[in-house]
Amino acid sequence: MAKVQVLNVAVLDNPSPFGNPFQFEITFECMEDLPEDLEWKIIYVGSAESEEYDQVLDSVLVGPVPAGRHMFVFQADAPNTGLIPESDAVGVTVVLITCTYRGQEFIRIGYYVNNEYTDPELRENPPVKPNYTQLQRNILASNPRVTRFHINWEATLDKMEDSENVDPAPNTMLPPTSMPSKAPPLGLMPDNSMDCL
Amino acid sequence: MKLLKPSWVNHNGKPIFSVDIHPDGTKFATGGQGEDSGKVVIWNMAPVLREEDEKNENIPKLLCQMDNHLACVNCVRWSNNGLYLASGGDDKLVMVWKRAAFIGPSTVFGSSSKLANVEQWRCVMILRNHTGDVMDVAWSPHDVWLASCSVDNTIVIWNARKFPEIVMTLKGHTGLVKGLTWDPVGKYIASQADDHSLKVWRTMDWQMETNITKPFSECGGTTHVLRLSWSPDGQYLVSAHAMNNSGPTAQIIERDGWKTNMDFVGHRKAVTVVKFNPKIFKKKQKNGSTPKPSCPYCCCAVGSKDRSLSVWPRYAGLWHVVAPTVKPYWSKAPQSCFLTSLKRPLVVIHDLFDKSIMDITWTLNGLGLLVCSMDGTVAFLDFSQDELGDPLNEEEKNAIHQNIYGKSLAITMESHLSSTIIENPEMLKYQQERQGNQNPNGAQGSGPENQTPKLTNVLNGESLEDIRKNLLKKQVETRTADGRRRITPLCIAQLDTGDFSPALFNSVPILPGSSASTQLTPQISSDSSTANSLGLRPSHDPTTTSPNKTAEENKDSGPAAVNSIGMKSNLLLTSASKMEPMKALDSRFTERSKATPGVTSVPLTIGITPLDRVKDSSSVKEPKVKDETSSDSEDKIMAKPLSMAKRKGEMEGAEVVEKRKKGRPRKDAKMMMPISQPFPQTPVSAEKEPSRLITPVAVLKLPTPSIQKSFSTQVSTDAIAYLEVENEVSVVSGARLSQLKWSRDGREWDTLLTSRITIATGSSDIVAVACEDRTLSVFTTCGRRLIPSIMLPAPLAALHCSGHFVMVLMASATLSVWDVQKQTALVKNESLNPILSGTDATVSQSFLTQQGVAVVSLSNGKTYCFNSSLETWNLIADKQDSLVQCADFRNCLTSQDALGSMGPLALTQGRNLSAGRLASRLSSTPHHLQQGMTLAFLENQLSSALMLLSASEYRHWLLIYARFLVNEGYEMRLRELCQDLLGPVHKSSSSSWEPTVLGLRKRDLLTEVLPVIGQNLRFQRLFTEYQDQLELLRLK
Repeated sequence: MAKVQVLNVAVLDNPSPFGNPFQFEITFECMEDLPEDLEWKIIYVGSAESEEYDQVLDSVLVGPVPAGRHMFVFQADAPNTGLIPESDAVGVTVVLITCTYRGQEFIRIGYYVNNEYTDPELRENPPVKPNYTQLQRNILASNPRVTRFHINWEATLDKMEDSENVDPAPNTMLPPTSMPSKAPPLGLMPDNSMDCL
Repeated sequence: MKLLKPSWVNHNGKPIFSVDIHPDGTKFATGGQGEDSGKVVIWNMAPVLREEDEKNENIPKLLCQMDNHLACVNCVRWSNNGLYLASGGDDKLVMVWKRAAFIGPSTVFGSSSKLANVEQWRCVMILRNHTGDVMDVAWSPHDVWLASCSVDNTIVIWNARKFPEIVMTLKGHTGLVKGLTWDPVGKYIASQADDHSLKVWRTMDWQMETNITKPFSECGGTTHVLRLSWSPDGQYLVSAHAMNNSGPTAQIIERDGWKTNMDFVGHRKAVTVVKFNPKIFKKKQKNGSTPKPSCPYCCCAVGSKDRSLSVWPRYAGLWHVVAPTVKPYWSKAPQSCFLTSLKRPLVVIHDLFDKSIMDITWTLNGLGLLVCSMDGTVAFLDFSQDELGDPLNEEEKNAIHQNIYGKSLAITMESHLSSTIIENPEMLKYQQERQGNQNPNGAQGSGPENQTPKLTNVLNGESLEDIRKNLLKKQVETRTADGRRRITPLCIAQLDTGDFSPALFNSVPILPGSSASTQLTPQISSDSSTANSLGLRPSHDPTTTSPNKTAEENKDSGPAAVNSIGMKSNLLLTSASKMEPMKALDSRFTERSKATPGVTSVPLTIGITPLDRVKDSSSVKEPKVKDETSSDSEDKIMAKPLSMAKRKGEMEGAEVVEKRKKGRPRKDAKMMMPISQPFPQTPVSAEKEPSRLITPVAVLKLPTPSIQKSFSTQVSTDAIAYLEVENEVSVVSGARLSQLKWSRDGREWDTLLTSRITIATGSSDIVAVACEDRTLSVFTTCGRRLIPSIMLPAPLAALHCSGHFVMVLMASATLSVWDVQKQTALVKNESLNPILSGTDATVSQSFLTQQGVAVVSLSNGKTYCFNSSLETWNLIADKQDSLVQCADFRNCLTSQDALGSMGPLALTQGRNLSAGRLASRLSSTPHHLQQGMTLAFLENQLSSALMLLSASEYRHWLLIYARFLVNEGYEMRLRELCQDLLGPVHKSSSSSWEPTVLGLRKRDLLTEVLPVIGQNLRFQRLFTEYQDQLELLRLK
């Protein structure tokens, strides 16, 4: 089971102008001391149609993480507007917070983001070329979508050492029904994803 | 009988596979399917029991839910002490949960139900061993073991005191094992499997006692579970699904000879679960309407795939035999009917559920019953005493056990003696304290009070709100070497680790009592993991196969992934015009971002402004790392023997090196505490040689260490000192000089000797050196020679120092011990003949205790010490001793004791003293015999500790001994013990009573023993007597 449980994510500075940095205050709990850092990422989905326009806003390492409950604020710059298709600038999109341990993603927290003009006039007649300075970003903080993935938390060597308490072969961890065709390309543990909504 | 279906107990419509009521009756757990995961939920019992509580919105119904299991939870079981909950599921894991006291209510982040968890239960241990779904788990009586069974055909017995230690894996079933039950007496565990068999295993040696197949041979259809149950009096075992004349039955198996003559018939489909009422009943007396004295009887509930439940009472010794020919006489019975005849069930309820019954649990008072079903609902049945009878109290139940098995199962009697009047206020205090200790969790309401202080403690009195306001500014952010941001998270609460939480072992400084091996493991594992990341990856990069394979695999999975993406986007595109972006976006929540893994992130980098490039280069770099790790893990899955072996070899090598480097100073410091270095840890063979001795021939002769050019050794003192020896450093006028060098904390001295040094050792006070020319020199730790060279009668085999004592074991198999401070001989040329003659054993170990007692261990497992006042060799430990094997005092151990004592006795006997490991208290030996053995063993320990002058161990064993006497009710011995500790109250010259033992004041010891006595109300007179006398003495 996951050694790290995300207990809460508070969206700070929300709503805010489009150009403001994203701020998420993340509270998580760790069951035992983690020998390695956690890596958190904020990914901004530039366009619903294609992942091409996804932007990793920033990634941070978080550590050391001893057993216990921890919190930190993850701040990342606003997306690069040059990479957002003009047609998708205004409207609803998604921002994702992911966390990986030893290169394996184990949680994905998604929020809907609504970008709209505050000025009613602009709202009615949006310019063809989006005016980012006038855009307001509103993150639907009350409705996070959390997906958890099963990953291998142990260092591979530990398993060989501790023959008495061997992890079952990772690829058999999967309930047969949920073998995804979208197998992650990285040899990550096949996920047993659970959408908590 | 009342029947209730609390609709609020549900898993949102998903199946509930298991239900179990907490031993304190205030809550119950359900396990089953959650949303795409397994789910364990803890519910409040009060709203089930009382309607007004159900309506009261202030009384929470759901206490905690845990989504940690990755797949369906098949079984939840509370430990008998109520502190832990074990759950097993399709994810092959057994999780052990413990209530965390420090956190307030919280929600599961991201879950739609905003219901707060009122209680916090956290997983303190994950037990990984099964290779298939775990179907059932069961705690042994007294929570000594936890058993789990699985579709991997095995049963694993876990040491519940030392998770995740595995006591035994029971193999023998050839089909999926689907049910487990412990004999309440603890002698057996029974399992039922799809292989048409029910097996009974002995807990003494974990071998199969019997294999019952006949009643199951016809069993065709499979049931999800086969939860069998053992009657509380231990006399009967009732199986789940069995067949008799092609009708489904629950087979009754008698303990006596495992006879299978009786069964419960009537269910139309396979029996999935049988659960005995924990109480034994006697017939309700109705104004003398029952003429004969009523026999106590048990009561059993049977649930079936036919969705009906039946409850059967039965009279001990008067089993109503259900003839195999009897047709199911109640299969078409009305909705619910009461059948008073003994040969019929008390009650049968049809159509209680829409799907098969999965689990049954009784309330502690035996009058209530919770049943859960695959249809995702539970039902509660409430019986009256008129219906079931009068439950026997624990004392009466114990009396029955005592009658049948010659021993009482209830070792702690306090709750059952509640009717006894407490005569002494002190006694009351101890009783209350004891109860307090036993329920650290307390009642449900006790949460918030003890939670807040802990939190503020960590936060230095700052409120969480204050911290949150400034968190962004305050948090420590650094850059790693490769320029990446690294944030040190703010710890807002430490984990209150359970007593066997892994975190405890990892983070807490080493406890003095715990064994060296457990201390080392975390180190080793962390070392090896670094070894892995550093050394191993490059090592198999050159092996051509693996990159190829990964490449191939990438190719394989690549297009597939692309395909699926492509398909998706196609789909999206076709409907894109009409489709709300929401739906397109929705998929992004669950799919792992393609931006994260390497390949697909490439397009992202294109066209990125120079400013962003810095950041991105890091994220591009990191996928590469990922690739490596993934190939690593893939390799593992492939399990290429070659690279595996290679890696393993390397791993071990690296590990050893690491261990040496890192582990040594700390480890040694620990090892040495009370004894002056029984075995120097250094790899110097000269030091080890004396321990491996040749078989003595006619004339006893111990081998002497060979002479080395140079060696070094560590000396245990407060700080570690090193002794370095270099032989033949220089030759001055024909004399060969050897140098002895001593260093500690940068201070050092050296001295020269004229003969080659064979052994050098030291203590906190002295340094002793033996030379080839049979001389022994003793120095202070400042290098001053204490006495002129001692001429030894024979070459030296072993040399030990401790405090001011020096012990030499000579090749002529004689022993001498001197006190160099007082310059006296404690032992003079004492021969090892008495202990060595007649055996072909050799000396395997020798050491000197801090008190100057010489201890010699032989290869036959016996350990002796020489007592200089008696001038005798005394046997203090014997690994083959049957007493050790059979003694069982584990229930007399407190949590501190469990760590073991530290001292010479523990050292000779092995720290974890496998006493009673095989034959637990529940072994096949008759109880009185085992009781006697334990008593003898404990008395041996006590006298051995005394002989070794080991005060701390004496106290340790004295307390265990006292607890044992209290538990088992040895009043005479207890009285004698107290009397000895108390001594004469009035001074008299004739008394030879010593007020102290090994420097411990006996009356202080008595003050420690008295609370132990105070825990058993039976001894309250004894307690009062000595308490008063002690008080009296204190006042004098």
